[in-house]
Amino acid sequence: MKILLVDDDLIARKVASAMLQHQGHEVVEACDGECAWRVIQESDISFVVSDWVMPGLAGVDLCRRIRAAGLSRYVYVILCTSRGEKSDLIEGMDAGADDFLVKPVSADELRVKVRAGERVLRLQQGLADKNQELARINTQLHSSHKRIEDDLKAAAWMQQNLLPLPSLAANGFRCSWRFEPSGYVAGDTFNFFPMDEHAVGFYLLDVSGHGVPAAMLSVTLSMVLTPEVTRGSPLKRSNPQSELPELLSPDAVIRELNRRFQSKDDRYFTMLYGLIDTRSSTLRLAQAGHPGPVLIGRDGRIEILGAGGMPVGLWQEIEFDCIETQVHPGDRLLLYSDGVTECLDQHGEAFGEARLLNYLASRSSERMDELLGGLLEELGSWRNRAASEDDISLLAIEVAEEKN
Amino acid sequence: MRFEERRIDDVLVAKVLESRISADVAAPFKQALVDYIINGNRRLVLDLSDVTFIDSSGLGALIGSLKAIGEDGELALCGARETVANMFKLTRMNKVFRMFSTPDDAVAACSR
Repeated sequence: MKILLVDDDLIARKVASAMLQHQGHEVVEACDGECAWRVIQESDISFVVSDWVMPGLAGVDLCRRIRAAGLSRYVYVILCTSRGEKSDLIEGMDAGADDFLVKPVSADELRVKVRAGERVLRLQQGLADKNQELARINTQLHSSHKRIEDDLKAAAWMQQNLLPLPSLAANGFRCSWRFEPSGYVAGDTFNFFPMDEHAVGFYLLDVSGHGVPAAMLSVTLSMVLTPEVTRGSPLKRSNPQSELPELLSPDAVIRELNRRFQSKDDRYFTMLYGLIDTRSSTLRLAQAGHPGPVLIGRDGRIEILGAGGMPVGLWQEIEFDCIETQVHPGDRLLLYSDGVTECLDQHGEAFGEARLLNYLASRSSERMDELLGGLLEELGSWRNRAASEDDISLLAIEVAEEKN
Repeated sequence: MRFEERRIDDVLVAKVLESRISADVAAPFKQALVDYIINGNRRLVLDLSDVTFIDSSGLGALIGSLKAIGEDGELALCGARETVANMFKLTRMNKVFRMFSTPDDAVAACSR
């Protein structure tokens, strides 16, 4: 190892130098503190054995300067003093010296102390190498994380674009909605569309689980659930005799989806699918394991529709039913996902169905869009602004006051 | 996912010792049940009296276990609390799983 030996006493320096060389080290000599400091700055020497009392820059001050300089490498410093007083030791250590030698220095003492110092330097180098490796890995992780995040953001945007236009109106109905995925992408999706001149259709579904796998099934379903006959839609088919398009009843739609989407991995989805016929003002609804929609009557009456049903995708031979009810001008139907009722506050209490109904009852005279915004606010403050653990979806359909 | 196990005749009663069966524990939960089944347990009663919440992943795991135990096996549930019972009613899981109030009721019904 290269050692910088600093002593203004020529003979002492030569003796020590000889000892160190004999022990296999390469020695660079300096005759005073300033000279030593120059060597340290201009080379990569990391080991200094220095006399304490020297003219100009004393050994202890050289040590202070080394420590204050914030060099990129660690410099191990052994101070030599002829006095051996405890107070010297303390002052020296305070100044940042790693070890002490009391003059006259024996060869053995020098040997073992230098070896101890070598060990420290090796450990130090090991740490520095590990840190460098960690920094490299960190940069890599950072950039791959950014790539994943960018992909997720693009997927989220894609998913958003599958949702209805805000405040869509069709056939005497108006819809408004809110969508708050818990991550970038969601297992929830919903839509509202005119089926033909006399009917509107709508659905809200929730794929089990979280994250990308749930979102992928969710996106697939939203592409499949289209009112266009030509794209293999489970919602409409062409009547073989009349060749006119006909709408499948809600339970038939769920049955078809159940046939097509049998799960291979415990994944399933819950769903509400409804059709409103504008001529008869009849709502037909199929409920596949999803919380029933809330019917908010024009008179403020609040009612939950549906008595339950099995989710989609679990078993092939499942019966699904359909409920039927009348809707009137001014009625509003709110579909929601369980991220709403299962929203937890800081004590772990769920928002719950009762609170939801109370909220809707208390604000039933407000415009639907405001009501939805207010509900999201309510949920946000319930959670105390913590992030929601589940996707929150709200789809409201209003029967226009005046029919076309 | 911790369970407290008791054997009564040929029925294994496993009590779930966690309060939430949600996405983060759904996989080990299912694995534990599948392990019971692989080890030859054909009659399993799951005691849910400590469980206050099951999410969609938890339900998926339960259903997966039911499918794993097969036609000749039985996976019954007991002690379901209000939130869990309501969720089972909404999803008609109460028609798929036999549900009982107490482990003893469940064991009596399952024993051959």
